[in-house]
Amino acid sequence: MFSLFLAKLGRKVISFIYFFGGLSSLTAQTVYQTFKPPYKYDHIIEQAKKAGYDSLPIVSVVALFIGFIFALQFGYFMQRIGSEMYIASLVALAIVRELGPVITALIVAGRVGAANTAELGSMQVTEQIDALETLATNPVKYLVVPRFVALSIMMPLLVLFANIIGIFGSYLICVFKLGITSSMYVNMTFSALLYKDLFTGLFKSWIFGMVIALVSCYEGFKVEGGAVGVGKATTSSVVFSFLMIIAADCFFTALFYFIFP
Amino acid sequence: MNFGKTKLELKVGIFVFIGLTILVVFVLSIGGFRTWSSGYRIELVFNFINGVKIGAPVRFAGVDVGEVEKIDLKFEPDKNHTEVHLKAWISDKVHIPPDSQVLINTLGLLGEKYVEIIPGENYAAALKEGQYLAGIDPIPTHEIFRRVDNIMNNLDTGITRIIDKQGTLGKLLYDDTVYNELEAFVTDVRKNPWKLLVRTREKN
Repeated sequence: MFSLFLAKLGRKVISFIYFFGGLSSLTAQTVYQTFKPPYKYDHIIEQAKKAGYDSLPIVSVVALFIGFIFALQFGYFMQRIGSEMYIASLVALAIVRELGPVITALIVAGRVGAANTAELGSMQVTEQIDALETLATNPVKYLVVPRFVALSIMMPLLVLFANIIGIFGSYLICVFKLGITSSMYVNMTFSALLYKDLFTGLFKSWIFGMVIALVSCYEGFKVEGGAVGVGKATTSSVVFSFLMIIAADCFFTALFYFIFP
Repeated sequence: MNFGKTKLELKVGIFVFIGLTILVVFVLSIGGFRTWSSGYRIELVFNFINGVKIGAPVRFAGVDVGEVEKIDLKFEPDKNHTEVHLKAWISDKVHIPPDSQVLINTLGLLGEKYVEIIPGENYAAALKEGQYLAGIDPIPTHEIFRRVDNIMNNLDTGITRIIDKQGTLGKLLYDDTVYNELEAFVTDVRKNPWKLLVRTREKN
């Protein structure tokens, strides 16, 4: 009984190590192939449209709601202590430093990451990836690099959109509901923000973009056994992406907390 | 080049362009008014600055006109004394007379320190790049506490004396002789109002 449990635990740990080993090897290959000519701009632009342009509506809507929610939630307490004008600063810091990057990354992981895994997974199942190799085309160069480059460029841009829309959402609540004047809101927002707030947020989102691309492609390549396998891989791609985004976020937040006090 | 592809590129192009515009807006807005206008630097000399930080605002007549850029400690061996030199960036539009008073003040709720310049009158000799202005040192917090403590001690002694029925105030509050006398007087006058009109014979 106990040995069975130990065997299960061992299997989990080994598969986890396999996962990280495979992911690291894919990362290394991808980075190498990214800088190795020839460069395929067409593929990158196609993926950039899928990852960036097409994600914009949902990212905007979610960011707007996040702005509403945080203005109201901070407002609840700040009105009690009579310092409503600091809501603007709090919301700006919360969105630019943390919520913008993380919420955007989670949406993109669910939307683009899942699509990547499903796409690459069905190619793997129908042996198209083996076909690519027989045609002397490197599948990493052909399939992973465009997604990797597109996501790592598009994520920070999406986060900028999310930041400005989130702050706008909170502006609407504060100005029309909580009675803060418009110029006061803008002033408090930008006097609270520092360059490091903006750039650490964008740096995190760049990391998240790469994490999403690599995890989703790795899961796609790993698919075995038909349609069921594709479904499973898509699920685990989203789950692992979420997990790694939050873990990376925790790591970098702690790191920046200590190196940029 | 086929149509579908240029449309794709156009979409990505618009997306990237607007994104970069937002980045520029953020960067310029965070940089504040310094990004837009030019200025000059003056040095403010203090003996004690009570925790002013780099980036603290400088206010002239209550208006934000610049910020503290650098804080240096300078030891003067001949005077055997250390001075604090604040290098402050001031917007070009502002002219600071050399007879202005420079103080360090505390900003509202969060207790942030800033430099307050109260304008003088000698505008003919307004400060230029790199000139010095001596500041009036703020009173250290512990000094304020010491003084408040002193006042409280004095008050305490006074109040203790009153409670102990010592001194005029103590007697007035706790000794009812004066009250009884007054009451007797009023009762007497009510009963015999003519007493107010009669000139009593002076006692010798």
